[in-house]
Amino acid sequence: MLVGVLIVALLAMSVSAAAQSAAIVFDVGGRGDLSFNDMGALGGERAARELGVRIREVESATTADFLPNLRALARTRSYDVIIGIGFLLQDAIQQVAQEFPNQKFALMDGLADAPNVLSINFADHEGSALMGVLAAITALEYGYDTVGIVLGIEIPILLRFEIGYRAGIKWAVDRYNEIHGTNKSLRVLHVYTGAFDDPARGKTAAEAMLAQGAGVIYGVAGATGLGVFEAVEQYARARGLEVGPPFAIGVDSAQDYIAPGFIPVSMMKRVDNGVYTAIKRAVEGTFEGGVLEMTLAMDGVSASTLEDNLAMFEEAIAAGKKTPAERDAAIAGIQRARAAVPQLAWDLMAELEQLIKSGEFVVPVALDAQTAEFYRQQLQ
Amino acid sequence: MRRSPASSNAPARSRTEMRQKVRTALGSLLQVVLAAGVGLAIGAIMMNATGYDWKEALQALWLGSFGDLWGFADTLAEATPLILTGLTFALSFRAGYFNIGAQGQMIIGALVAVAIGSSLAAPKPIGMIVVILAAAAAGALWAMPASLLRVTRGVHEVITTIMFNWIATYLARYLVFNVLNDPRSAERTVRVLPEVRMGTIIAGADATWALFVSVFIALFFYWLLWHSPWGFEMRIAGLNREALRYAGGSPTWGVHMTFLLAGVAAGVAGATQIIGRPPTFALYGDLSNLGQLGFDGIAVALVGRNHPIGIIFAAIFFGALSTGARTMQIMAGVPLDLIRVVHGVVIMAMAAPETWSILRRYIASRVPARASAAAASRAER
Repeated sequence: MLVGVLIVALLAMSVSAAAQSAAIVFDVGGRGDLSFNDMGALGGERAARELGVRIREVESATTADFLPNLRALARTRSYDVIIGIGFLLQDAIQQVAQEFPNQKFALMDGLADAPNVLSINFADHEGSALMGVLAAITALEYGYDTVGIVLGIEIPILLRFEIGYRAGIKWAVDRYNEIHGTNKSLRVLHVYTGAFDDPARGKTAAEAMLAQGAGVIYGVAGATGLGVFEAVEQYARARGLEVGPPFAIGVDSAQDYIAPGFIPVSMMKRVDNGVYTAIKRAVEGTFEGGVLEMTLAMDGVSASTLEDNLAMFEEAIAAGKKTPAERDAAIAGIQRARAAVPQLAWDLMAELEQLIKSGEFVVPVALDAQTAEFYRQQLQ
Repeated sequence: MRRSPASSNAPARSRTEMRQKVRTALGSLLQVVLAAGVGLAIGAIMMNATGYDWKEALQALWLGSFGDLWGFADTLAEATPLILTGLTFALSFRAGYFNIGAQGQMIIGALVAVAIGSSLAAPKPIGMIVVILAAAAAGALWAMPASLLRVTRGVHEVITTIMFNWIATYLARYLVFNVLNDPRSAERTVRVLPEVRMGTIIAGADATWALFVSVFIALFFYWLLWHSPWGFEMRIAGLNREALRYAGGSPTWGVHMTFLLAGVAAGVAGATQIIGRPPTFALYGDLSNLGQLGFDGIAVALVGRNHPIGIIFAAIFFGALSTGARTMQIMAGVPLDLIRVVHGVVIMAMAAPETWSILRRYIASRVPARASAAAASRAER
């Protein structure tokens, strides 16, 4: 009896010591989307490198594949954690977590309510506040009186982006007046286009903002945001400009390369760090279900750097979507845009980043229309 | 005219006919198996050339799709909508039309399934039946403009059905995000009520009772085409419209009937993806749970020789390919893009014989002297 227990215990130990592995299920965008999925893959690569974990990647051809993909992985019983990338997998993870209560799951950027699922969210309101600082100071220094934000569908998570951005703008304008002893103010325009996949609508919204004198526009609308970039670049080029202002700001991944010269920075959702954290917790035995908000202090969000764009390009070149020549041209453009942004903007962005990380500045959160409206008034 | 050809057969003739039928069926089967083998072999060579273990990959393909009960059930779940969209193409083709509107008709069926399924709190079987009937009617209605334009204005159905596919796509996107959307989950529509959701056949796999709806419709189409006077008329129209007119049949009536029934199949296909596919029971904003099922149906129909029974087996084969795709990724580590290339090769090899016979028939129809001979050999099948 005792011997039996010992053998079982030994077996269990050797199994857990021998095979540490994680599986990543991508959403329908798949590898090579230069966004969400590729960011998640980067996290897996880092875990493989630093933790020696075997990573199995599974792509989904359609949304109907999520559930069977997750089930097939769970049935093998050989993965310490199974990770779903993106909120589209929410329903499937919710279901499969109930069917396999002993299997650990993690969901990026979504919310699944089960004890064996770690739902990782990203403090996009904090990241958006940093974008607000850069937008505000750049606009003020170049003599603009307006900045804008173009969003997708009016849902709670996007309200969070908008109010975070406004909070950053408000802080930056106050700080600017303090430094220069002035009494300037900025008008903030916002538009909910009602779509995440309609560049034409994003373009129309951005064109209207530019016509009203916006100097910087933050695009938070998935593919709709591509229209924002296009509008800003066209508007500037029509005036013979090689570099902004006007500027656009990217979102989710390092999008600065999309309109080189006109996107100085993007608000990155660090899905890579989320994936890495989930794997690390699973293999180190500290995994617990529940919600984890990856804040600015935890590197859950960040302002994109030149290196981030380079890393993205390597993925794009590997996927055959970009050439090294395109990379060099894009990097030159990004450098031009970054150089055109006043140093004060970068300095104040770093200052607010420290304040948020240390907890001295708390970015307000709005998750319903009423709260959002309250903050719109407050942050004038 | 409105009399089934079978009813006039003497027993002796029927026996030779039977033997003939079995022979052609076995011949087709052999062709299909050979084509599949060629396709898989080319796929294996490609995987080998790109540095993946082809043996492991093919083994994974088999184990994942037929290896256990769950895998087989998932295969059937994938096959369910393909049977229907395959029928859409096949039925029209038998009547002489290239109806490639299954995609649009399926989208409309799915939209109607969401709209009715999310608001109709009827007791269990009634709600489901209402949703399926409504989706069928919606698919049929969406197919009507194509046949009306064909009959009244002579507009080719390829043009109209393609256009209506796009109209359906954009209409669906608008409705999903602006009318049927779930306010807490922007990526999809509201879910249909639990009362109208179809139950799974075995726990832990995706196949639901929707499978039986698909198979039932396939069997009905089989009966319709080969054992009913209406089907006989349709097939004659497909072979030679002049002959039908001469014999007193109405080609106009046949066109409308064909398009309506094809639309019914596609509409129900859309419904099966909403009320018969766990776990979401809603339509995604990018329509990604419908994918390209309408167009995949064309390939299914070609592999299944445009025959309802053949289509059931072809759809199961296609389902096995997509179910096997996940085990090929998990067990053999082959990336999805390469798997799709392999699938493409297999499907092309399998669709080749039917595509060739269609082409041959088309060429023959251009040469009047040979037309009647080709039509006669065609009628035997």
